[in-house]
Amino acid sequence: MNAIPLVLYAAAAVVYAVHFAKRQPGVGRMATTLLLLAALSHTFVIGMQTMEVRHVPFDNRSHAVSSFVWLLALSYIYLELTTDERAMGVFILPIAVGLQTIPAFSPGIENADPVLDSPWFWVHVISLMFAYASFALAGMLGLTYMLQFKEIKKKHLGYFYTRLPSLHVLDAMNSRAVVVGWLFLTIGVVVGVVWTAQARALAPGNSNLQAMSLNDPKILIALLTWAVYSFEVFARSTMGWTGRRAAWLSALGFAIVLLNFLPVSYFVTTSHTFQ
Amino acid sequence: MHLLLLGVSHKTAPVDVRERLDFSSRDLGAAVEALATRPSAAESVVLSTCNRSEVYVACENPARARDEIIEFLTQYHSMQAESFTPHLFSLGDDAAAKHLFRVAAGLDSLVVGEPQILGQVKDAFETASGRRCTGPMLSKLFHWSFGVGKRVRTETALGEGAVSISFAAVTLARKIFGQLQGRRVLVIGAGEISTLTAEHLRSQGVGEIVITSRTAAHAETLAAAVGGRAARWEDVSSLLGTADIVITATGSQRPILTRAQVEATTARHRPDPLFIIDLAVPRDVETSVGDIEQVFLYNVDDLQSIVQENLSRRSREIAHAETIVAEELLKFATWQRSRGAVPTVVALRQRFDTIRRSELQRLEGKLAGLSPDARARVDEVTRLIVEKLLVEPTEQLKALPDEETQVAYTEAVNRLFRLRTGESASSSTDAAADTSRADRQK
Repeated sequence: MNAIPLVLYAAAAVVYAVHFAKRQPGVGRMATTLLLLAALSHTFVIGMQTMEVRHVPFDNRSHAVSSFVWLLALSYIYLELTTDERAMGVFILPIAVGLQTIPAFSPGIENADPVLDSPWFWVHVISLMFAYASFALAGMLGLTYMLQFKEIKKKHLGYFYTRLPSLHVLDAMNSRAVVVGWLFLTIGVVVGVVWTAQARALAPGNSNLQAMSLNDPKILIALLTWAVYSFEVFARSTMGWTGRRAAWLSALGFAIVLLNFLPVSYFVTTSHTFQ
Repeated sequence: MHLLLLGVSHKTAPVDVRERLDFSSRDLGAAVEALATRPSAAESVVLSTCNRSEVYVACENPARARDEIIEFLTQYHSMQAESFTPHLFSLGDDAAAKHLFRVAAGLDSLVVGEPQILGQVKDAFETASGRRCTGPMLSKLFHWSFGVGKRVRTETALGEGAVSISFAAVTLARKIFGQLQGRRVLVIGAGEISTLTAEHLRSQGVGEIVITSRTAAHAETLAAAVGGRAARWEDVSSLLGTADIVITATGSQRPILTRAQVEATTARHRPDPLFIIDLAVPRDVETSVGDIEQVFLYNVDDLQSIVQENLSRRSREIAHAETIVAEELLKFATWQRSRGAVPTVVALRQRFDTIRRSELQRLEGKLAGLSPDARARVDEVTRLIVEKLLVEPTEQLKALPDEETQVAYTEAVNRLFRLRTGESASSSTDAAADTSRADRQK
């Protein structure tokens, strides 16, 4: 079922790219329409899965990736509708398309670990998904800031200069995305810690829960992510780390998030898995 | 009905002739009205900007209209005809339409692609239509030209990129700071180009503009001109700390802003970048200032090369814009020809309807026994048959590819159905003129 949103995301990505190159308003509207349709069909798919498994489908990795893509699409749509700025679509949509191929081609096995049946778990996962979606936006905004910065600084006003928003707008959007992401990341991590402690007491026989510690790369990298974004938020407000430095940090942070979300989550983690 | 355009532009007339033929500084509406009273100008619009004065009329006899327009220009501007007629260009029908389309697209402008001209064309039309001096022909022509202007603007990059140094600086500032509202500007050295740039920035809604110059009086004059504040020359360093945009244009032989000086202001907590525009030759700002991370430094040559690049990019777009003009001209010409067929179509319909009515009248005796409802139905059915028979010929006549074919076809239809026998195709355009006059009276 995840193939339908994938096709629509891919179509939207192509039209966003055409819009970026040609800058025709009609093409831009078509891109947004396609993305809205993709997000709508994705909402439907996630809704169906929720009905099927009777809770939000976050508990296997493919479902989690699908939900992440969905939140990313919604966050981007919010950004586009509030700023009337379509140039970022060409940078965001490839991430959505790339990640959506995972749930589209490997639906994953439905997990039935009863230990996950707790409201704390849902708050933990939803907060982190939303945080990651915000960081994806911030990362791309950082990347585009660097592209735009380089063209203006080097006085080669070329392809990106005319197409990307101003440095100020990119920096402001980046700052907003990072703060929102950091808040949700904090909530997600705190709730995760509290819930693990609770669940350990309730399910003493669950080896995964007992093994959860900083020795697990996934948990360690999650904390590293938190440290990077905490520093970015702090440095912006007190040390004047705006513009290019904030852009670098956002890109770095998102690289760590992606690393944790895919390879680490699939292959390296020792305890943070319930498959 | 024919289109006729008479005018002078920066391509045909020197500035003193254009100045004397200028309408824009006088009451344009009154001028159009005065022109419309001439018998040969059925519809008229006057377009007057600093680069052109053009009179568009829809008329039946272009030669007569031309004489009348020259007479009008002579009287209205109190000039000798000989003093401007050598500079006057005159275009008819398709050529006139093409010219207006090119003007609206910005292709005929002094700076190709400049955006103001489309607004000026719209204003000219609105002034004329507000005085009821336009009719179906010019109304269609001008609305079509607005569409051409819009298409060229959205489908080509003809109007893109700044083509003056001061505007290039403003565009850059907007790419750095986004909206310029509330941004603080420091102008060091009061010269012509810095005044122009400061004025551009002012029109973008910047916050405070502070001007400083070695000669305090110069700073005060410029401050008064752009609505800014004059400051003491000695305060440059401290002013630098609070500015977002710095424009330097002094006549100094040595740099007045050194790297150390700028670094001292950027080292402190400074969330936003500093944009320095060095318009002076020799330069006022040390080159190495541009290496400071938060500083964007542009000098006159940098801006000039942006302007050059934009100009060449615009000229690369000309061919594309000309293609759009040609496409639209073709569509407009087809529309105009379809209007040429209108009198024949009207006559054909009248002829068919007359036959229908007379037949119904002839059968009146036989139909008398019918109920009023059935009687009405017979009337309706016969009317529908006539309508259906005429649909295809009407469309075909309106869609004929060129004028020659149209004359031949309308002539044939006129003869086949004895529509106004003996009248030539030219009289059909007279009928079109009648319709347009009738439209105007409405």
